[in-house]
Amino acid sequence: MRQAGKYSGFMMCGGIAGRTGPHSLPLARIKKIMKKSGEDVKMISGEAPIVFSKACELFIEELTRRSWATTLQGKRRTLHKDDVASAIVATDIFDFLVSMVSETASHSEDGTVPEEEETVGSS
Amino acid sequence: MAEGPASPGGGGSHDSGGEHSPRSNVREQDRYLPIANISRIMKKALPANGKIAKDAKETVQECVSEFISFITSEASDKCQREKRKTINGDDLLWAMATLGFEDYIDPLKVYLAKYREMEGDTKGSGKGGESSSKKEVQPSSIAQISHQGSFSQGASYSNSQTQQMMVPMQGSE
Repeated sequence: MRQAGKYSGFMMCGGIAGRTGPHSLPLARIKKIMKKSGEDVKMISGEAPIVFSKACELFIEELTRRSWATTLQGKRRTLHKDDVASAIVATDIFDFLVSMVSETASHSEDGTVPEEEETVGSS
Repeated sequence: MAEGPASPGGGGSHDSGGEHSPRSNVREQDRYLPIANISRIMKKALPANGKIAKDAKETVQECVSEFISFITSEASDKCQREKRKTINGDDLLWAMATLGFEDYIDPLKVYLAKYREMEGDTKGSGKGGESSSKKEVQPSSIAQISHQGSFSQGASYSNSQTQQMMVPMQGSE
């Protein structure tokens, strides 16, 4: 029944064969994470994880590109966690992630929070 | 939220009282997408000479789970308000648009249309009457994509992203 040509044509989009099928991220895992989002999340349509497999790809690409801009500003060639943190702080739509990276930042810098405030204010 | 800062490996800082801290030691494969997949997608977004530190990959890995939860919660709220039980693809698209990810909508609709097309091709004949109606649906769902005449916007997606990338950096918040 399967027409290999068309199917593999779609696979090119995800780029990865194997467990993920045509998608670049495993759908079952996405579904698990969705279910953990809240107790009200019980039923999920089949299309929902597929939407997320692509959405996460877009999200990762965007976050990476913005982080890389920070890496370049520092004249470096390796993207570090701090770059991701800066990108998150600088981008409105990533506000929901701020709590994840800001805690680490203050921990790793021995709680030198005042400096951080200054950067936020001036940028 | 929840012990985000700690590395997915579970080491490092003790969790700092997140919402689901009791399950902070739940098997990590249930909470995160595989780091190899994340890493592959990240590399795609970088120039060939760009390198990615492990801690950056782990941070992005955590952020992706957070992203899924963030969008899902918003979509779930909508379903509850409308007294529906199943979260569908359109709910997620709506949630993303609501939460500032409207740039993702067009590429996602294209992806979904492609997926539906593939589904229709591979098992369409087995589905009886549904297959014919499915084929009707595709063109119209693609037509919906071009709201605000943004079909071209979808095509120049990466372009507009790069431009936007500079805006928040310069413009103060």
